[in-house]
Amino acid sequence: MAILSPYRNKRALIIDDVPEMRSSVRSQVVSLGIEQTGVAGNVRDALEMIKNNRFDIILCDYYLGGGTDGQQFLEFLRSRAIISRAALFIMISAEKSYGAVITAAECLPDDYLLKPFTADALKSRIDRLLDKKLRLVHIDRLQDQGRWQEMIPACDEIIAAHDKYLLDAMRVKGNALIMSRRFDEAVTFYRQALQMRSMPWAKLGLAKAYQGSGDAGQARDTLNDLVAETPRFLAAYDALGRLHRDAGEVDEALSILDRACTMSPNSLLRHRAIAGIAEDAGDFGRVEKALGTVVRKTRNTPLRDLNDYAKLGNALSELGDPEKAITVIAEARTSFKEAGDTILLSAIEAVAQRQAGHPELARQALEQALQVGDQSLSEATKLAVAKACLVHGRHEQAEQMLREIVQNNPGQLLLHASISQMMKTHGNAERAETLVSSSSAEVIRLNDDAVRKGQAGDFRSAAAMLREAAERLPGNLQIVANAAYALFLDVYANGLDIDKLQDAQRYQQIVLDRDGRHPRLGPIADIVAKIQRKYKLPAAS
Amino acid sequence: MSFADIVALTLHDVKNRLAQLAGSAEARGDTETMRQAIEAADKLTSLLIYYRSDMGSLTLDIDGHSPADLAAEFVDQTAARGPCRVELDCTQAPTLWFYDEALLRMVLANAVQNAGRHARTRILIRVAEQGGLLEFRVEDDGCGFPDEVLAAVLGDAAHVTREGTGLGLELARRIARMHQNAGQRGQIRLENAGGAVFRLLLPP
Repeated sequence: MAILSPYRNKRALIIDDVPEMRSSVRSQVVSLGIEQTGVAGNVRDALEMIKNNRFDIILCDYYLGGGTDGQQFLEFLRSRAIISRAALFIMISAEKSYGAVITAAECLPDDYLLKPFTADALKSRIDRLLDKKLRLVHIDRLQDQGRWQEMIPACDEIIAAHDKYLLDAMRVKGNALIMSRRFDEAVTFYRQALQMRSMPWAKLGLAKAYQGSGDAGQARDTLNDLVAETPRFLAAYDALGRLHRDAGEVDEALSILDRACTMSPNSLLRHRAIAGIAEDAGDFGRVEKALGTVVRKTRNTPLRDLNDYAKLGNALSELGDPEKAITVIAEARTSFKEAGDTILLSAIEAVAQRQAGHPELARQALEQALQVGDQSLSEATKLAVAKACLVHGRHEQAEQMLREIVQNNPGQLLLHASISQMMKTHGNAERAETLVSSSSAEVIRLNDDAVRKGQAGDFRSAAAMLREAAERLPGNLQIVANAAYALFLDVYANGLDIDKLQDAQRYQQIVLDRDGRHPRLGPIADIVAKIQRKYKLPAAS
Repeated sequence: MSFADIVALTLHDVKNRLAQLAGSAEARGDTETMRQAIEAADKLTSLLIYYRSDMGSLTLDIDGHSPADLAAEFVDQTAARGPCRVELDCTQAPTLWFYDEALLRMVLANAVQNAGRHARTRILIRVAEQGGLLEFRVEDDGCGFPDEVLAAVLGDAAHVTREGTGLGLELARRIARMHQNAGQRGQIRLENAGGAVFRLLLPP
């Protein structure tokens, strides 16, 4: 009898390092009527298959051998958005050890399946999960596209139905409120959710909402409560670590992340977070330890990342082991042949070779690092190139780059401190103290000059100055906000200019995205309304 | 390596082998061998969790779940296992309840396996909200629990049940008690009423 299975058009991928288990699970999957199946024995093959095919169901064993586990693989897939939320990811494990810690919701599999299981059991779980995907298909799709605002009413619809997907929709809604920076609503929403029952995810959301609305004290209290109540909820440690880091409290940040690391030593993301904070704080011993672990765990796997090698090389140089740094950089060059930030590697090599006493190789590396203009480089790469210039005695070039980094990242005290430290160690110790303050003062002066011009009625010059500065320093929110305001004023006073209007709107959007409560947004909205009236433009959405 | 580590690794290895055994039995249609292998593996899982509970390292992952969905899993599976009929009554089941689903799945699988061994013709699984508690009830039409089992649940002595060491029941009791909320704890109740009745009661 031919039975048309509802799974006929589904594609399934089975990942297990034991060949017998692969074929056993595969025949179970086939018995459900799934005709298109793929099998992979390791992460590399699995990734290749996932990139080339759309799989609806991924069954992945937790133990994959070779230093990588299923959870790391899932975190990798999710953090790089390699699989969509429509795909089911089911983790297969022989015991419930995964329950020892709770990872962040976005890195959780859709379900866990305890070995051994029958084809019937597999079917009933997949049935149930596919029903859920079907119910949530709309919000999943919006989430994949980052359309947070639209997700909120879509979630409300499911919440109102009060069916078994209530909590799923609530989780997504809370996150969508935070992502669309509607923090006050998020606080209210999470408080209501917590009245239903104390749920760790809701408490974490409440803390994030407090943090977003500028109440770091409440955020911290909530997270400390959460860590005390649910010590295995690692996402709370990560959030607390970020909170401390943002407040410049390096020791507290590192100590809380260390605690999380002890409980879950395999999370690559957390080791990287620790390395990032330690690097800003100039604690290169910590950087070496954390990234040494990551590089060891990811070597020869697709989970490896060039930045880990680069930062490890930099830390080794700082620790006085340039030969080892050179080895790490050489390994990175072989390992990331096809692509990657070679400028970053060259900059770090330029420092290491010089310290190791190889002036010719050092000079070659520096030339490679300087062959591209610095506009297109990432902040981290600029910093590394600046450092290489300092070490090679090109102080002026280095200082110009560092000044720009300071100006583009106002208020980032850790970064400023690490730049001062870099100047002290590798450059001009006297100028180290003044570089950060004079760079900041330079921007303030420019801003004040422009404001004065504006007050004197010369909107055209004010707007031109700020626009030029905003292009150079897109990370400086005060400059970007004032550039938007000045451009709108210029357009209002001096006539419609599409170029100026588009730039102004782009700057306004940057401010909205980064800080929905920025004090300039109110005046900007007022002048935009005036422009619409004056030129009879349709109201913006 | 400590003895505990060796035990954990060995259990893991044996479970993997049982999984392969179950898989190949299933592939050739040998349902009875498959069922035996899975029950044996389930027993090892219980052992490991019991050990964790003894060490104080067993923790719950409480979240909202659909109790009717969980109960329905056993209807699908037991149907494949034995000749007896499984009936499901979820008419009074709440939409959502808060519990550790993986642990309850283990507790209920054990109860259903137990009922399947003693039922004459049918097993009834009922999920209902009653007096502010959630009840999972597994009922068979066999000859009921022996007196010493009924008595043992009230005390705390180790005991040998109808066909086992009492591990399953003791673990069920521990897991039920770990579920607590608003000053109430979960519990297991055993009764005889035209057959054995296993009741798992959970606070909201």
